[in-house]
Amino acid sequence: MASIIPVIFILVIVLGLMACGYLFVPKGLHQTTIRTAIMLTLASCYLMWMVTYMAQLHPLISES
Amino acid sequence: MGDDYPTLFRSEQMSLMQFLIPTEVAHDTVAELGELGNVQFKDLNPAVNPFQRSFVGEIRRTEEMARRVRFFESQIQKDKDVVPIRPLYDSAPLVTVGPSAAHNIDGLDVTLAGHETRLGQMNDSYKTLSERTRELVEARHVLRETAVFFEKAETQQTDIRTSFDDSSAPLLQHDDREQQYLSSVQFDLEFVAGTIDRTRISTFERVLWRVLRGNLYMNHTDITEPFVDPATGTETRKNVFIIFAHGDALLAKIRKVAESMGATLYPIDANADKRSDSLREVTARLEDLETVLYNTGLNRRSELLRIGENLARWQDVVRKEKAIYETMNLFNYDVRRKTLVAEGWVPTRDFAMIHMALRHATEESGTSVVPILQELHTSKTPPTFTRTNKFSEGFQTIMDAYGIATYQEVNPGLFAIVTFPFLFAVMFGDIGHGLIIFFAALYMIIQEKKWARQELNEIVGQFFYGRYIILLMGMFSVFTGLMYNDIFSKSLHIWHSGWDFPEPASNGVSYAVSNGHMYPFGVDPAWHGADNGLVFTNSYKMKMSIVLGVIHMTFALCLQLPNHIKFKRPLDIYANFIPQMIFLQSIFGYLVVCILYKWSIDWSTRDTQPPSLLNMLIAMILSPGNVDATAQLYRGQGFIQVVLLLLAVVCVPWMLCMKPYFQWKEMQMIQGQGYVGLGHRNGGPRESTDEVLENEEEGNGRAIVEEMEEEHEQHDFSEVVIHQIIHTIEFCLGCISHTASYLRLWALSLAHAQLSEVLWSMTIEKFLGLSGIFGTIALVMVVVFWFSATVFILCLMEGLSAFLHALRLHWVEANSKHYQGEGYLFMPLSFAKLDEKE
Repeated sequence: MASIIPVIFILVIVLGLMACGYLFVPKGLHQTTIRTAIMLTLASCYLMWMVTYMAQLHPLISES
Repeated sequence: MGDDYPTLFRSEQMSLMQFLIPTEVAHDTVAELGELGNVQFKDLNPAVNPFQRSFVGEIRRTEEMARRVRFFESQIQKDKDVVPIRPLYDSAPLVTVGPSAAHNIDGLDVTLAGHETRLGQMNDSYKTLSERTRELVEARHVLRETAVFFEKAETQQTDIRTSFDDSSAPLLQHDDREQQYLSSVQFDLEFVAGTIDRTRISTFERVLWRVLRGNLYMNHTDITEPFVDPATGTETRKNVFIIFAHGDALLAKIRKVAESMGATLYPIDANADKRSDSLREVTARLEDLETVLYNTGLNRRSELLRIGENLARWQDVVRKEKAIYETMNLFNYDVRRKTLVAEGWVPTRDFAMIHMALRHATEESGTSVVPILQELHTSKTPPTFTRTNKFSEGFQTIMDAYGIATYQEVNPGLFAIVTFPFLFAVMFGDIGHGLIIFFAALYMIIQEKKWARQELNEIVGQFFYGRYIILLMGMFSVFTGLMYNDIFSKSLHIWHSGWDFPEPASNGVSYAVSNGHMYPFGVDPAWHGADNGLVFTNSYKMKMSIVLGVIHMTFALCLQLPNHIKFKRPLDIYANFIPQMIFLQSIFGYLVVCILYKWSIDWSTRDTQPPSLLNMLIAMILSPGNVDATAQLYRGQGFIQVVLLLLAVVCVPWMLCMKPYFQWKEMQMIQGQGYVGLGHRNGGPRESTDEVLENEEEGNGRAIVEEMEEEHEQHDFSEVVIHQIIHTIEFCLGCISHTASYLRLWALSLAHAQLSEVLWSMTIEKFLGLSGIFGTIALVMVVVFWFSATVFILCLMEGLSAFLHALRLHWVEANSKHYQGEGYLFMPLSFAKLDEKE
């Protein structure tokens, strides 16, 4: 059944991954770059997935 | 964030260093610093004419050497067969620092001069010999053709002879006497022979006819082979002419006319034997000349080959020397201490590296005096230096193209590493096309080392420079392609679809029934091919564009905070950042929340109709507080919307007035203290004046230069107000127009999807059903056509278009929220960059 739970579930997972990315990237020349890249990628991919998912949750029209 | 490592987040911290370099070590020190590439030297002699600077002589010498090297290069390029130039990394090194440096440079100068004279001589002799060859070839043609003329002329002697007699006398009467006159007649009719341009021959004839009143006999033939001018390569076609006339005066006139028309005259003898002798002589001389020419050509080529071995190295040395002396011209010469004083911007982090480089330079040169390095304190703005590697270089460049970041402000290039390819991918989303550009970028990256050494075509070079950008663009495009469920305009059917199609109804239209499944990852494939598929996709993509756009703008707005905190501008946080954020969120943030909320409700279980969000937003602004109960999104909507609108309205005067007011109060305070501060301030400079005087005695001109460049920061209050008004209007109107501008994400992805679908349905689809040999061959051809159209139209053209629009979104919509971009680029003396500049 289509519900909003997966959205929140995946959100929690993504936030967890972002935290991991922040904490576990080794200190070094590229730490900022790698951290930023990982976090931004996770955030933007999640956003796009969330929008796509929610747009189809309770569709107002059906195909013909 | 530790300060141990440089980051892309802000530009590096720079400090102004002063170098005190003893003159003996100066050349080698600058060479060492140039190799390092970390110092941007300031011009300490701005008022001095370039021709009066100290090292003009050396520069002139290097310029002369550079000219010679350029001459060699052009000679090598002009040669028809390719002369190989040994590449730089393969060439023998030439030591330009240390005790033997001056000797080597002198030697180089002599070598270059020697090569130049030899080449010049060979070129000259080649040219002269070619001209002689041409003349001889013409003479040979003339000799050959005139032989024909003479034979013809003899047969026509009778006609010419009778014209000198009475016209009434019959022809045959003098027949018996004619044979006697044959030999004498030939000497009477003298002639002029030569060659002339084919284009001029008719004019020549006409002029001669008029001048001589018809008393001439002219004959001419074409020379079949054209003459090629060796210097320019142009072909000229010539004719051989021979003119028979009688009398010295006439002949003289003919000669004059011929010369004025640019004809070349050749002495031809009337006697046939003498003519054949001349012909043999000419042929012999031609052969000799050809041999000499051939040998000269060989010599020249061997000289060029020798030059080609070392040319790259010479170019490198000459370029470096010129750069070194130009830099040394920027230094100030301290007469007392016999040292050169230099000032330059250096990244603070690299202080130790520079120190080591200086020490290394002194070791190399063999002296024991180490240059002194000290830090200066200044209020001038340092240049902006962002340390990039080959990956981040591309992203930084495209953001720098909008404007160089102000010193130490937050660098949008860091975030563009992900947001740029992501926004590109939203407009490009197609798994197949994404894979194509991903593999193209991967190929370029694998060939990196080889391609970096070659000289790439301008366009290919651009793509190569952005290979990492393209790689990421490809990766994100595959992701968004999965989201849109689009691979080469087909959709993937990986999971259970959420729709079932029953049997079509009587009019051929069937409505799908939802079966409760949710397609977990992407757009349900059932929408592909549906009649109203576009209706759904458009709504989905438009709303996604708005959501992504508002979030991107909010993110960019938040980047203001680190800037305000770092530069200690708390006023800006309260007067700019907070009202801007509230304004943006209360209208557009609210819209995004409504979009998400509307999607999350199951409208079949509600009594109210799902409202149109666009109308809702418009109504919120035009008639606040009135919400139609049958078309409301949630309870209490009217009240909340009024509150939000009021918040937004309050922000406008907040933005307009708060900052100017506080700045005005600050200026009042300063002015109030001004009368007290004048004495106070004089105390400061007075002290340094003593220092200045003391230092002047020792010949240190540093402090004087600094004082002259004191910056006066008198802010006109009206300027502040105007600035703030512009800023406010720009932001408020910008909010609306930029949000709408993000709809291009929808527009381009729609165009891409439609193009892709049209291409498929117009080409491959039509040929899929055919069978037999003919069908298969046609299918193969169509597939080839389809693939090339995919690469060129969909990947290249659409890719460039999406690139441009994603870039515009970053430059205008995002950067206007936080970017100042008033810095200037750090341009160190770097020998590596010299190479790139050329």
